[in-house]
Amino acid sequence: MVRVKSRYLLCEINVTDRNSLLLLNDKAIAAAVKEVVARIHGDYGAAMCSLRFSVKYLNTQTGMVFLRFPKMSYKLLWSALPFITSIDTRWKKIPCFLNCLHVGGTIRTCQKFLIRYNTQQLHRMLPNCQNEEEKEKIRKAILSCSIIQGAFEDERDDNEDEP
Amino acid sequence: MTYAGLPVVIVSRCSGPKVVEVKMSSKTLLNCETSSLRHPNNRLSAHLEQLPFNYRATVLLPDCGCAPSQLDETLRSFQSFYLVRNLPLYELLDEHLGRGSVCGLSYKTRIDEDNCAFLKANGHLCLSLDKDSYELLGIEGKACKPKSSRYVVSVDLNDRSMAPGRPRYQRLFSGLTSRLPLKMEFLLAPASGDPDALQPLLSRYEWSRHTPEVSCRLLTHLSRPDPLTCDLRSYDPFDLLEWLGAVQADISCDNAADSFLSSLACPHPSAQSSQSSFLLEVRGLLLPQNIMTLVKQLSHFLERPLSPPWAAVTVHGFMDNLHVHERHFYTLVLFPDHAYSLHLATPAS
Amino acid sequence: MNPESKDEPVVYQSVVLKNAAPYQYMKVCLVLEDKSTKVSAVDLKQFIITGLKSLHGEVGAASHFDVLKYDEDTLTAFLRVSTIGLVKLWSSLTLLGFYNKQSCAFRVLQVSPFLLSLTGNSRELELD
Repeated sequence: MVRVKSRYLLCEINVTDRNSLLLLNDKAIAAAVKEVVARIHGDYGAAMCSLRFSVKYLNTQTGMVFLRFPKMSYKLLWSALPFITSIDTRWKKIPCFLNCLHVGGTIRTCQKFLIRYNTQQLHRMLPNCQNEEEKEKIRKAILSCSIIQGAFEDERDDNEDEP
Repeated sequence: MTYAGLPVVIVSRCSGPKVVEVKMSSKTLLNCETSSLRHPNNRLSAHLEQLPFNYRATVLLPDCGCAPSQLDETLRSFQSFYLVRNLPLYELLDEHLGRGSVCGLSYKTRIDEDNCAFLKANGHLCLSLDKDSYELLGIEGKACKPKSSRYVVSVDLNDRSMAPGRPRYQRLFSGLTSRLPLKMEFLLAPASGDPDALQPLLSRYEWSRHTPEVSCRLLTHLSRPDPLTCDLRSYDPFDLLEWLGAVQADISCDNAADSFLSSLACPHPSAQSSQSSFLLEVRGLLLPQNIMTLVKQLSHFLERPLSPPWAAVTVHGFMDNLHVHERHFYTLVLFPDHAYSLHLATPAS
Repeated sequence: MNPESKDEPVVYQSVVLKNAAPYQYMKVCLVLEDKSTKVSAVDLKQFIITGLKSLHGEVGAASHFDVLKYDEDTLTAFLRVSTIGLVKLWSSLTLLGFYNKQSCAFRVLQVSPFLLSLTGNSRELELD
């Protein structure tokens, strides 16, 4: 058997108001991607996008999203992503843009990358801390990253509480 | 701000996406050869022989101070050719014919769907057949391309085994008379220039005689590559061929850069010619020796005073040639010092 | 020619350019249900662009092509398109089915990387 090959794009949704991320869901993002692909690449793009495209994972806290595209056409579909300027949800239109951080062949490699990326972000935050308490929190979070499974979601939650 | 008020560094791990284009693999070959007619080993005639049946030849004379009456006469002196209707192919096996004295090809047959036949000046009879006809004929041939349903049967009529009465001859003869009695409209020309070679055949079938059709077009205010500032040989060959095509198809190269319809432009550096230019054209069944005569006359013409700084001869072969994707045109640019540059294009997709 | 070149020894040079054609040329014919419809060159280009836009989106509509020559009586046009854009243009011509609510079709008569090969088509030789 030959495996059906896909490409997973790890994207970061950038918004001005972080709370609006919580309104997002898989369907809204999928619809936004499909719409923009249809606009940029026409019927041909829309057809490519109807084939094995899905939103595999969405973290509404951090705005991280995994998009799955068929390997054959991922470059074409990827090229349309920068044209997303807003995502329509049931309640309101969220102005945003997608920033692609990583392209991987499996979800696993994408997850590994995401953990490494988040650790890096924590290291960057460290010098900017205002007081000891914050620093201690981040140090703890960095240490917790060494345990790979499921670690990153908690630490990101911790950081959200900071001013 | 994302990440709780902390400055966000966007780490661009991935370089921007490269847009994949839907594209077709095509093989285009352009062979540009520069040499001189005086060079003892020039391969010009060898190249001309590669296109045995030509349909059209044009001569472009830019900035020509005198009317090219001499060349016009040369074009009109080309041998006439015959259209023979409903010619059964076995006639071509006749000993008096087809042994190199006559050449020709089937008329109004399409290489991609019909059976076609070619009688070359070297005495080779080539048939391009679909699978059914090929199997009916029962003569060994080759597939046009691997896995293609078309076959080419090539027989050398000068070969001793093809003498009448020999088994191979009998096999082909019976194939063309009983199993696959092909009848075609045929264009024939005497290869050696002796029109009597065709007489025995013409007496038996309906035929008509045609002379190549000659026309001359006068072009004024032609935008053209400027030979004063830049040697013609240093232009990009694709640009040059495009310009020649535009002149022949009567397409204007004077487009504004912001034109909605077309941005076609004359290759740079260009200038508008102050003198008139001529475009001579001849259509019909032209043989390589005709083209050679034309080239010789043209090189004499270029030596005369008031003659153009260069001349371009474009020859179009019959499109339904033996191999569909073989080249079917070439362009020869000739200079007064007998130097030439030959552009042989093989467009195949 | 410049006089120096006469003194130079004759050089023989052969250069082969492989897959270097920058453009492809197409000879296309628009077939309309109603033969009396007038289509100008600008209309034709606009029509082809709408086809590109619907099949290949904004990226397709932005791809460049030229209408080199157009004959209003026979609705036949010579198009020039970059080699990369050929498939996009050709596919959208194929899928253009309606011109102003009447059914239509594009017939692609000839495609070549050389404009010269479009000027001489031996199938047009009429001897009768």
